[in-house]
Amino acid sequence: MILIYDKTFEGFLSLVYKVYYKKLIPSKIETKYPNTLLLEEIEEIITQESNAIKVFDAIKKSFPKKCFEMILNIFMCDSKNFEMPLLKYIILGFKNKNELFNINNEEVFFLQNLEKELFRQVHKMCGFTRFKELEDGSLYAKIETKFNVLYFLGKYFFKRLNNQKYIIHDINRKIAFIKNDTYVGIQNIASFEEPKLSTSEKKFDKLWQTFFDSTAIESRENKRCQQNLVPLLYRTYMNEFKK
Amino acid sequence: MKKDIYEKMQILADSAKYDVSCSSSGSDNNHKTGELGATQNSGICHTFTADGRCVSLLKVLLTNYCIYDCAYCINKKSNDIKRAAFSPRELADITINFYKRNYIEGLFLSSGIIDSEDHTTNLILRVLKILRYEYKFNGYIHVKLIPGADEKLIEQVVSLANRVSSNIELPSDKSLKLLAPNKTKEKVLQPLKFARDYSLEKDKKPIGMSTQLIIGATPENDKDILKLSSALYDKALLKRVYYSAYIPVNDNKNLPSIITKPPLLREHRLYQADWLLRFYDFSYDEIVSDEFPNLDEQLDPKTSWALRNLSFFPMEINTVSKDELLRIPGMGVRSVFKILKARKYKSLNFDDLKKLGISLKRAKYFIRCKGKYQREIPFENDRIRTALITPPEAKKIIQPSLFDIEYSAITGEL
Repeated sequence: MILIYDKTFEGFLSLVYKVYYKKLIPSKIETKYPNTLLLEEIEEIITQESNAIKVFDAIKKSFPKKCFEMILNIFMCDSKNFEMPLLKYIILGFKNKNELFNINNEEVFFLQNLEKELFRQVHKMCGFTRFKELEDGSLYAKIETKFNVLYFLGKYFFKRLNNQKYIIHDINRKIAFIKNDTYVGIQNIASFEEPKLSTSEKKFDKLWQTFFDSTAIESRENKRCQQNLVPLLYRTYMNEFKK
Repeated sequence: MKKDIYEKMQILADSAKYDVSCSSSGSDNNHKTGELGATQNSGICHTFTADGRCVSLLKVLLTNYCIYDCAYCINKKSNDIKRAAFSPRELADITINFYKRNYIEGLFLSSGIIDSEDHTTNLILRVLKILRYEYKFNGYIHVKLIPGADEKLIEQVVSLANRVSSNIELPSDKSLKLLAPNKTKEKVLQPLKFARDYSLEKDKKPIGMSTQLIIGATPENDKDILKLSSALYDKALLKRVYYSAYIPVNDNKNLPSIITKPPLLREHRLYQADWLLRFYDFSYDEIVSDEFPNLDEQLDPKTSWALRNLSFFPMEINTVSKDELLRIPGMGVRSVFKILKARKYKSLNFDDLKKLGISLKRAKYFIRCKGKYQREIPFENDRIRTALITPPEAKKIIQPSLFDIEYSAITGEL
């Protein structure tokens, strides 16, 4: 049986509810109807808030805090098919919560690694995000990432840019973390215009490039090592790699 | 002719690049509401240069003018190179602007000796004060102390920086005398000792310190070097020792010729050994001895140790302690934690280890799983050594030819 849901967290919790109470045995979880005709049964799960809340509360109550947080974090790995393992993980937890830490279990191992991958990406983006100064002195960064790391980044920069106004713009997901004098949080960005940069932006951009180029040691050049450490994927908005 | 800011940056970054230390780790988060900057315990790399080294800090010299004439140093007085200097204000502004754009974690400030040790330290202090007091900057600052500066000044630097260091450069006094006639080991270590004593006083945060040794410029062997490092760690003097393969920048009769290649592999092995000292609870005399004063270039130091001490192996993965697991070649701290977690639930075999993503390339010759040892290579020193050194044969790709397979010419049936 193939289950279809709307890719939202509430939708997924409704799915858990259905599977649990109707004893469904899904073979796949998808977000849209398959294009090809399949012989398998297909059921679309309709998101129901009341069911979602019930499941949410039950997980919160009976799962250890670490596992509960992991479930939320896994949902940020939106480009990965985590649904089946996550469903199995939740069922496993309701059966016996001690098993949630058994890394010999395939699902537990998969999800723990996925969460680590998410945190690795957050950590990399903490270093690789590049801000530009705008006309009004606020800082603006564009990002494109495999997973949804915006919330983590926003929180991280809240500490270090505490006396600054900044915007981190996730281009593909069309959302942005905004921090100014009156607002801190994530907003949807439907459309946007390229903002005007401050007059000193060019100078520091060039200074950074100069520093970056002259700090490399030619006799030790190792481009492959460099690429392992900063994969091309991350370089889109890093000014030192713009040539 | 007055140099523009880009040229200054180019000269002063270039002069500072041979300093290896660039870590921004080990400082606890210390952000304050309404101020700029914070440090991150894990350290953060902001980019990587073409040679694959991480850039975490804005690593520059305040100036590359210098009154000293150390043979190995690119900035020595007698070298005819371009010279430049930042003003403290200029450098502080660049740091803040780089930081705001998230280019860097903070500043790594070193300097040639201009005029006198005290004058130079005063200039460095000026930068720190602008950053800390005027800009309310709480990011990472690493200062290279100037040996021979007044202790009062060093005290001020220590109280404003996150980490201070002083490069020993050469592992023995003899070599120092030969190549850096203005320095002695005593003099180089003096600011570090002083900084340690100062920061150990009550109600002060202990400050992290590091140093750097140049490898391959002088005849010291690996044992001398590791003995020195381990002594420095033991005395709680230092958090890190960096090793830097000697890259010839000057011609000098006391130095290896300018055409020799930097001993990068040796540097790599030394770092591996250093890790064993700091995280794996090895002592230096287990890694090197009078019989084997140098590290084996073909094998990593942990494997070499294991081969010399085969009596401890093969270890039963399901029963030995954490400390013993850490001694298995090819087994890192992460793998050890995975094993400890997994074996609570079941007794592990080779397949289980593979499923956990633990690399068995080296470890398999030193472990037993449920009493079983791998079958391919017998448990003998020479055989294991050969197996570890020989690269695995590349799998031959056999291109199937059309005529390899017998099939019916008429129906095409196999």
